[in-house]
Amino acid sequence: MEQIVLQELAKDYILEGSRITAVQEVSLEIRKGDFICIVGHSGSGKTTLLSMVGCILKPSSGKVFFEGTDVYSLGEEALSEYRARKVGYVFQFASLLPALTAKENLLLPTLFSGMNGNGSSSAEKKATDYLELVGLKDKVNAYPGQLSGGQQRRVAIARALMNDPSAILADEPTGDLDEETEGEVMNLFRKINRENNITFILVTHSSELANIADRKIKMLHGLAEEIVTVA
Amino acid sequence: MKFSLFSVAVKNLKRKSFRTAVLIVSIGLLVSILVFGASFILSVGSSIEKASNRLGADLLVVPSGAVDVASDVLLASKIKVFYMDKDIIQKVEKVKGVGKLTWETYLASAPGQCCSIPPAEIVAFNQKTDFIVTPWLRKSLHRKLKRNEALIGYTSNKNLGLLNVDSTMFNIKFKFVGVLEKTGTGLDNAIFISDKDLKNIITSSSMAKVKPNQISAIFVKVRKGYDPKIVARDIMNDIMQVDVIQRANIGKRMLSTLGDINKIFLITIVMASVLSIFLTWTIFSAIVNERFREIGIMKAIGAKGSHIVKLFVMEVLLLGLIGSLAGTAFGMYLSALLSKSFVLLRNLSATLTLAQRVDICVLGLVVGVGICIVGALSSIIRIKKLEPLSVLKEV
Repeated sequence: MEQIVLQELAKDYILEGSRITAVQEVSLEIRKGDFICIVGHSGSGKTTLLSMVGCILKPSSGKVFFEGTDVYSLGEEALSEYRARKVGYVFQFASLLPALTAKENLLLPTLFSGMNGNGSSSAEKKATDYLELVGLKDKVNAYPGQLSGGQQRRVAIARALMNDPSAILADEPTGDLDEETEGEVMNLFRKINRENNITFILVTHSSELANIADRKIKMLHGLAEEIVTVA
Repeated sequence: MKFSLFSVAVKNLKRKSFRTAVLIVSIGLLVSILVFGASFILSVGSSIEKASNRLGADLLVVPSGAVDVASDVLLASKIKVFYMDKDIIQKVEKVKGVGKLTWETYLASAPGQCCSIPPAEIVAFNQKTDFIVTPWLRKSLHRKLKRNEALIGYTSNKNLGLLNVDSTMFNIKFKFVGVLEKTGTGLDNAIFISDKDLKNIITSSSMAKVKPNQISAIFVKVRKGYDPKIVARDIMNDIMQVDVIQRANIGKRMLSTLGDINKIFLITIVMASVLSIFLTWTIFSAIVNERFREIGIMKAIGAKGSHIVKLFVMEVLLLGLIGSLAGTAFGMYLSALLSKSFVLLRNLSATLTLAQRVDICVLGLVVGVGICIVGALSSIIRIKKLEPLSVLKEV
């Protein structure tokens, strides 16, 4: 059964009086546990498509069904709850809150989803475990400013896992990482995908990285085309 | 601290410690002005009211044109003299509705010329008829003053320590044998002698400007059932040389001066409040602009609009509370410290009751926090309307 269904999803922007079409009527079906890479040049609409799937950008037309729910028919509060509980988002830039430690950054989504209710120590333990999983056990109390770019990215990945999401969406997650760290992060994604059956949708402009995906979607001028399906 | 929105708010404020300190200090200064102003106005106002009530007379008869001077002497401990003919006592006694009465004569000590004591108002009172000084003396001296004996006001004794010391006043040696209890009036700063000793002073010293047939003021108790206002009017109609002050009107001029000070404080506080609102608005607009990305990230990872608003409101409330508490404490300290520097306060027994202090503290807290909220309101409303990706894209 399909976990995520995109129906004729489109997004237009008005820029200096002219209409720009970022994504043109993309339809796609994603199964639970799929590992999908969206590739394409800059400005091809990759991030816009991912943002619409991640419930953080309202489409101009079309629908996104997440586990059978038309997410954009939900109200603002319910949509926030959906984002908190169903989706883990990894941004293409450093996305940690600078005032909080690595562990606190991980606890943030649980605070918003209500899973940290009554200050349960289970959330804290979970955060420590995830930091261990991404190899940052000794950086639990470090602030983002004390972490390297790669370490920050790994904390952001761990944060995306905190609410046990059904899908993780990552926008150029290895964009500013060196080759070695890039490989580590991708292997980590694959490991989590296989061990936890979590759906991964990754945006990258690197065809080489995209080769580890089960499915590859190529974006060109806002249009999506599935180019390879790995068995 | 347990991880919560509150702890996040505290950490956010700590991260920009200088900016946080600037806001806290500005709110604190505003609140301290407010607390100081309110303390000043309340303490002076209530002291004047209490002091006029404590004098124990319904009416005060003074020479024509001496109303303000008399108030200065009786309430503000100013050293001033004024005189009228003694036969006015009989004229006042004859007015319908006048009950008990007594009179006092005031002298100003001149240190180095006539007197060994520092400048002070010397009050000669009639021991037979007096009901102004005696009630405050009952606990410390259980007899009448003898020849060349004097009493000392509560504050004067505290400042000069003259009890049981021989001092010269108008070339006559006096011994201070008793101290008045604290009255909260000008009596606290005066020295008291009997009017028999006044006669000796007049004959032995040319420094005393008073004549034997002169007095300064007559204190009148109105008979039961008579309206003090009508009795006062009758006295003034019958005796042209005097003015009459009703108890309620004693210190009226001081209260009207206080009204002007009140206005100055109010204008200052309003201007400072507007400035603080503007400062809070500017800083919070800057904070929101600077944290657009953070807000977007928080929204993208599941924060509801209400979470973000709560977070900012907590930051605003924390700033307002800390600033207001610091300002209230500083304002109270300032009023205690400066109370001796203001002539108006120094000369009055200006103390606030616990309830008044609590009211002022609550006022300070409400105003401080309120200003922070008003200043940050537009920024908070703006945050609520932001969409996650639009925020992230604006960075």
